[in-house]
Amino acid sequence: MNHFTVDVLTPNKVIARDIPCESLLIPTVRGQINVLPDHTHIVTRLSTGHLTIFGGADDADKSFTVSYGLCKVVGNKVSILANTCEEDREIDAIRAQEALDNANEVLKGSDNLSDEDIVKYQRKAERAQIRLQIAKRFSK
Amino acid sequence: MANIKELKKKIKSTKGTLKITSAMKLVSAAKLAKAQQAIQSSRPYAGELEDTIKTISALVENYSHQYLNENKENKRAALLVISANKGLCGGYNSQLAKEVKKFLANTDMDVKTYFIGKKVRELILSDVNEGKFYEFEKVEPSYLEIQGVAKELGDLFSSGEFGKVYIAYNVFKSAIEFVPTVKTALPMTLEEEELKKVEEDFPFDFKYDPSPEALLDTLIPEAYMSTVYTCVLDGLAAEHGSRMSAMDSAVSNCKDAIRTQTLKMNKLRQAAITTELIEVVSGAESLKG
Repeated sequence: MNHFTVDVLTPNKVIARDIPCESLLIPTVRGQINVLPDHTHIVTRLSTGHLTIFGGADDADKSFTVSYGLCKVVGNKVSILANTCEEDREIDAIRAQEALDNANEVLKGSDNLSDEDIVKYQRKAERAQIRLQIAKRFSK
Repeated sequence: MANIKELKKKIKSTKGTLKITSAMKLVSAAKLAKAQQAIQSSRPYAGELEDTIKTISALVENYSHQYLNENKENKRAALLVISANKGLCGGYNSQLAKEVKKFLANTDMDVKTYFIGKKVRELILSDVNEGKFYEFEKVEPSYLEIQGVAKELGDLFSSGEFGKVYIAYNVFKSAIEFVPTVKTALPMTLEEEELKKVEEDFPFDFKYDPSPEALLDTLIPEAYMSTVYTCVLDGLAAEHGSRMSAMDSAVSNCKDAIRTQTLKMNKLRQAAITTELIEVVSGAESLKG
């Protein structure tokens, strides 16, 4: 099978290195893209979303929640540089719900917030929502 | 010749030193483990980000960012020296100071020096033109604090105050090895050799999404910050590693000293006992006589 490898890196943790992969779903700022072996060389920005790595017949599938960052596909090597990233099974639904409530609370009083803060809390809310979605799927 | 009492005192004080050095060694070992973890997990990210930026900026034509512009006319430069706030860590500070002095002697730029950590500053203050000395609340600066420092230097660079920004720090190799280094943080341009290599490695261009300009605009400041932060982490890990090995050798020196002094003391004591015995025996002999 024609494999390629994936690196998932964040500023304070190496999440995964050289995971074999057959097909990959990446959330980018303009929608999800699917990367297959011998994909063209691209550099794109990640958005907050769900990154799925399909390992094929021999290797396990893995999925991660990622937020803002960079994705680079060169040859048969994909590098994901994300600001935050966590594997699905690590997600804590209660914490995510708290984070979402907290972020929404702050955004409600958004009149006194600076632009930077608004973006920050919007991102927080986005991340929490995605985590919750995933957590629900796991609990079913 | 030292007498027994003096030697006893000396041994006692050496034992005290031994306790301190071995405690410091343990503390450094624990801190090192943490710092090592931090640097080893952030290095791949920072490296990959910097690589990507350099590659894209070399491939994209007609793009300019304030952090990329190299102004060869501008002969003023900033040098950020990252050292320790504490001593007792072997050659960590002195070797870095030496490297900085060497760099200053060889450069034709007019260098203003900024400091994080006071030790190297104390060593070379008389030889440099000091810009600013940064102090932080904690021993280990947070990402935000470093971001502040990086931004200040970056702003001075983009305003044309400086033509280059260098960072001097110790690169962490292993617990017992570090390499004092001076590296160019800004401008983020490639050397000609590297440029050639990029062109050889990438005879094609990438596809970008969104435009390469938009990507670089946001990524370049991010990469610069992460470079500076990684340097600080490197310095911290190297400091703890260096202190640990320095304390390790101090511990073994203490043990050696205690051993030889105890031996000496025992010899003296034995000699004293022998003399006393001889006196007693010869006294008894003379009484018999």
